[in-house]
Amino acid sequence: MKKVKSLFTPKKLVIWIAIILLFFTLPTINKPAMSETQAIVTMLCLDKDEDKIKAVVTVLSPGQDKQAKYEVFSATGDTLASTVDSIALSIGKEMGFAQCEIMAIGEKLSEDNIMKTLDYMTRTKKVGTNAILTYFEGDIEEFAKSITTLAMEKSLKLEKIINFDKEYILAQDSNIESFYKGFFSDVSIGIMPKIELTGEQKSNAIEVSSSSGGSSSGGSSSSSGSASSGGSQEGSSGEKKYIVTNGSTVVFKHGKKYYELSPSEVQKVNLFTNSSDKGTLIVEGITDHVYDNAKVVVDILEKDSKIKVSFDGDTPVYSVDVNLIVFIDEVIQDEPTDKFLIRHQDFFTDALVEKLKEKVLSNLNEAVELCKSENMDIINLYKAFNRKQYKNFRAYLERVGIDNYLQGVRFDFNVEINNEY
Amino acid sequence: MKINYRQLSILVFMSFVSLKLLALPSLLYVDSGNMSWLVALVLMIVDALYVFLILDLMKKCEEKNILEFMKKCLGPVLSRVFLAIYILKYALVIANISKGLEFFVVENFYNEFNWLVFILPLMALIGYMTYKGIRNIARVSEMINLAIVIGCLYIAFQSVGSADPTAYIPMFKDGVVPLFESGFKHLSWFGSASFMMLLFGKVDFKEEKKWTMIKYLIFAIVLVQIMYYVFYGIFDNISATHNFCISDISQFSSQESSINELSWLIVALWVVAQAVQLALYSYCMMQAIKFTFNIKNNTIPIIVVMVYVLIWSLVGENTIGLERLFFTPFASIITILAQYVIPLVLYIGFYMQNRRKKIFKSKNFIKNRIEIAPNVSVNKFKMLRGEK
Repeated sequence: MKKVKSLFTPKKLVIWIAIILLFFTLPTINKPAMSETQAIVTMLCLDKDEDKIKAVVTVLSPGQDKQAKYEVFSATGDTLASTVDSIALSIGKEMGFAQCEIMAIGEKLSEDNIMKTLDYMTRTKKVGTNAILTYFEGDIEEFAKSITTLAMEKSLKLEKIINFDKEYILAQDSNIESFYKGFFSDVSIGIMPKIELTGEQKSNAIEVSSSSGGSSSGGSSSSSGSASSGGSQEGSSGEKKYIVTNGSTVVFKHGKKYYELSPSEVQKVNLFTNSSDKGTLIVEGITDHVYDNAKVVVDILEKDSKIKVSFDGDTPVYSVDVNLIVFIDEVIQDEPTDKFLIRHQDFFTDALVEKLKEKVLSNLNEAVELCKSENMDIINLYKAFNRKQYKNFRAYLERVGIDNYLQGVRFDFNVEINNEY
Repeated sequence: MKINYRQLSILVFMSFVSLKLLALPSLLYVDSGNMSWLVALVLMIVDALYVFLILDLMKKCEEKNILEFMKKCLGPVLSRVFLAIYILKYALVIANISKGLEFFVVENFYNEFNWLVFILPLMALIGYMTYKGIRNIARVSEMINLAIVIGCLYIAFQSVGSADPTAYIPMFKDGVVPLFESGFKHLSWFGSASFMMLLFGKVDFKEEKKWTMIKYLIFAIVLVQIMYYVFYGIFDNISATHNFCISDISQFSSQESSINELSWLIVALWVVAQAVQLALYSYCMMQAIKFTFNIKNNTIPIIVVMVYVLIWSLVGENTIGLERLFFTPFASIITILAQYVIPLVLYIGFYMQNRRKKIFKSKNFIKNRIEIAPNVSVNKFKMLRGEK
């Protein structure tokens, strides 16, 4: 015992620590930098190419100068795992998805159950749970290059745009986590924002040239990994493309693309949720002591939607109390009067409030009609009843069936609108 | 070297919290669904009650170690059988912590790394801490305790706004039977007070404050429940896909701020807490081996424990079958024995032995002897009374 103790005197302990440090440090000195062995994937786009899965990755290459370089690589394969492996084999680096901020799902892939493809990403925990999941329309490679160019040339990152927009227009957070929750819920509904790559110039579109490959050097590999062909980023030189992020949202049911919500429909659906609390309301034809057939634009500063579920006999009742705090953003009137110059004039008149209430009520009703007509529960009605009125709701489901439950629900709305002050 | 009452309370606190915030919430969800929090709450309360029972025994042991105390109350054979059960219990906990630690580090910090690089220095540290004794372990726990608490609360409150309170309803959707089954299946994650059994005679109760242990226990239960509320509230129906409560909650936070990066420091601190727990249970296992096999010095038991930790770590990724050991009835039964049955038997044994002693020492002991134990000789009675 004394011999053992003598090995651990303070001085000898320092030597022990030094030996241990040397033991671990020396083998590390000759190891290559992680950036040489791991590809930092910042975006992963997936689509179908005939019967195979096509994956395009944007890889960040940290350079010695301050300017990082993005490169785009693609491959096709029977499964996502083999496709990703093909890219890894062709570039000689492990695919590191920890920094992946966007996963984009293509139009053709969405025709089938996308969870079959997403399983790989979640099973291996390769992509962080906060990675944005988005749906895109357009050619997959052009899309990936355009998004890369957008980030490099215009300093506009898609994930930042979507994160900003979701407060205004998207019904829910759209990441793998929330999509998973929705998919595995009883109604199996998931949503994603839509990003469109188009050749036409549309309103809200951002011009981007997919060929401006100064920032991206292309490369592609086949699923076999043996036949990798060189860069192809100059394929569509000079052609102008536009990226549209106008707030359209795609609803997935049982993993397949089911319905595309227009931006105005998304705004209506948003009234049921608290996840996005901003927006705009436009009311027209207001006439009273202040306005004369005016069109008023109000900004929603705060929104609080309280949902209560109950049963009136056998009828499920879904009550929504919407409380909005608004700010008058703009008044458009053919002939502005001198009242508009009075600083302390109360522009938040009863007529305006009534019109706003009517508008909100009409939006709520239209959202409900949309849900009923398309038979898609994007307002989480099933979840609310199933949790808060479990027994009654189960009995109701047995009566009407899970496919028709939306039809028999009675909706009660109560809208309160207050001025900012 | 003894530890004081406050240090013991901190060790109990750390033991109550540390294992519960790793893989347990996810595993519980598979069997108990949205009532997992209740299973954890009930078992933690039962554990807390046993803390007081063991504390009472510790005070009654009159400076004796567990072997001497057990011998006095239950006899030498049963004492060693019971101590062997404690070896198994601690071996299970050590295996659980070391495997959990490995997965935790691999999943959260390094995609690919040589586990030996981590485990060898860690083993050296744990071996040294075990060798230095319980006071050393208690002091390290004391140092990191506050940081752990603040860290957990910080991570929880950062994400609490995203937690859906309706994730907990409807309650008892599938009745209570699955909850009992789930509780039994996951018992090996509980029994957090079992380490106290090997600290008999090592605690100084001179500075005991009545409420210290109660406060730490309540805080441990509340802290775990807060974390569970956030975890199940955030991940809801996909809770079972999240392997580690503390790190997955911190990852979930969507706040894009540099403050969010602090979460990783806290997650890293959790590794330290696990290492201290590993040292604590290694110390207890070492003591149990010493007493069971009547080994006088610490060196051989420490080597045995360290070799056990190393073997468990080296089996590496091929241990899926062994990990299932934690969920077998065997693991649950060992926990029931170590945490719930043995302390109770010891308690009953102590009182029965004490009662007999009182009778022997009474004035009319011969009369009592005839009434109670007619087969015991007068001389033996006298001997038991301390008379020549």
